[in-house]
Amino acid sequence: MPLKFFRENLQYRNKHTAWQKAHDIHAPKVGDLAPDFELTDVTGVKTVRLSDFRGKRPVALIFGSFT
Amino acid sequence: MRLHDLYQRYHHQVEFLSVYIREAHPVDGWWLGKGLLGRLVKRFSPKASTDLHDPTTIEERRAAAGQCQDSLAYGIRTYVDEMDDAVNKAYAAWPTRLYLIGENGRVEYAAGLGPYDFWPSKLQRAIEQHLAQKEPAAA
Repeated sequence: MPLKFFRENLQYRNKHTAWQKAHDIHAPKVGDLAPDFELTDVTGVKTVRLSDFRGKRPVALIFGSFT
Repeated sequence: MRLHDLYQRYHHQVEFLSVYIREAHPVDGWWLGKGLLGRLVKRFSPKASTDLHDPTTIEERRAAAGQCQDSLAYGIRTYVDEMDDAVNKAYAAWPTRLYLIGENGRVEYAAGLGPYDFWPSKLQRAIEQHLAQKEPAAA
């Protein structure tokens, strides 16, 4: 049972790491222009665009999920 | 330094955007909710959910994001990535990541890959440096 548990977790970890490495190559680095986006809030009504803040305020982006 | 504290301290000078992306540890994926691991997650991340399935529609993702926003109660408005994960992919953000974008639209701080480099204290240093650069030099 413990072996199966560790093997499963290792497989998922490897899968996550592969995803990260594949996309991190194209992710913006310090000094790069941040990719613009437009998203809606949890109600689906209020919209925000990253470029709305250009020339006005710095923006802290916090990415994550509930799990 | 927690995100909530960062927000409280800097939200008059910095726009905080929380972007909800695909689940890191859903029940139907790399689930951390069972057994000893589940108990550890509950103990050290009591506000995190361990019973969510990976949303398959934007409505489900918005609902999960709303629960998360209410549970964490950072005060930061949450915006939801679309189901094509376009913003998540553009920023290589999954499962979690921090950035600071300057007024010129350029990246001032890019944390390393999450969750290992998810340190609000590093974001705070970047904010402090950025704000200090904006202040006029003392006479």
